[in-house]
Amino acid sequence: MAPSKTRTIKNKHAGSKSGAGAPGKGGPKRSSTDGVSKSAKSKKPKGPVVSQQVKEKNRALLMKRPKKKTYTAEELGIPTLNMITPVGVEKPKGKKKGKVFVDDKESMTTILSLVQAEKEGHIESKMIKARQMEEIREARRLEAEKKSAEKKAKFEDTKEALRKKRKRKNDGDGGDNLKSISQTGSKAVKASKKKVSFA
Amino acid sequence: MRPLTEEETQAVFKKLAEYTGASLKNIIAPQEDGDRNVFRLSQNRVYLVRLSMANLATSIARDNLLSLGTCLGKFTKSGKFRIHITALPILAEHARHKLWIRPNGVMPFLYGGNIVKAHVGRYSEDCPEHQGLVVYTMDDVPLGFGVSARSTAESRRLDPTGVVCFRQADCGEYLRDEDTLFQSG
Repeated sequence: MAPSKTRTIKNKHAGSKSGAGAPGKGGPKRSSTDGVSKSAKSKKPKGPVVSQQVKEKNRALLMKRPKKKTYTAEELGIPTLNMITPVGVEKPKGKKKGKVFVDDKESMTTILSLVQAEKEGHIESKMIKARQMEEIREARRLEAEKKSAEKKAKFEDTKEALRKKRKRKNDGDGGDNLKSISQTGSKAVKASKKKVSFA
Repeated sequence: MRPLTEEETQAVFKKLAEYTGASLKNIIAPQEDGDRNVFRLSQNRVYLVRLSMANLATSIARDNLLSLGTCLGKFTKSGKFRIHITALPILAEHARHKLWIRPNGVMPFLYGGNIVKAHVGRYSEDCPEHQGLVVYTMDDVPLGFGVSARSTAESRRLDPTGVVCFRQADCGEYLRDEDTLFQSG
């Protein structure tokens, strides 16, 4: 049995120095450190301590739960909610803060030409509209004039026809009238006056 | 005092373009001496001023600067631009449509009345409805500006008491609105 042999050798060293302090199996280990001990300790004093600390640390780390990583909404790629972002809350990056002034000649000329083109278009469309309206009005006026002229002409025709008719009638019994007037010395109307005679 | 932003410049030009023609670009064109006119905003009022003068005026504290150059008008609180009678020299120089009034119509206009047909001496041809007009006396003295009530063709058929032009500003405002026309204190 080899282990027992070694043990006996170690016990020899240990037994001389610390006999009472090493009963059983645990004793010889400690005694051996004690014996050669000082030199061993001086050689590497922190070795076992460091390892112990590391071990403790590791144990502590093992004991502690690993910290969970928190993700932002952008990292997760969650679809954004359909909400309104108030003006002024979201500030665009890389853009000048505050107002952007227009003071150079080129940009002022550009704005002016844009405005003028717009205005010209407005005025032009207004003029075209006005001209069209004027044309329509003129056409309507002409039509109304034509209609009234036609009406007038018709009226005149009727008047003329009536006049002619009357004239013809007058021509027909005009001679008798004259005769009767010449005979009686008064108008035919007077001659044909109704008379009442009493029997 | 500061230059105008893009929106503000646009609003000013839009209002000026109501009354003026294509020659408006001359007001911002460089002059012979290398200087040019720029717009400056001071306490809501817009001024047309020479750049050299505007640069000099930067040495005056904002509160102490009452006026510089030609006041064109002012921005209302809702962001609209209202043109003032002080802009008349610029408008008269570059006017698109003009209206000349007879001597008997001068005083009624200067007292703030609209222009009736009986007072019209001459009228620009081809003027549409609701278009800016500059009003002159018969001897070409600018009196103010307004907006046409009817197109030229329509106003020809109008009766003498019919309104031809709605007044926007007249020289009488120099007296009537003396207190509010210019920045004070």
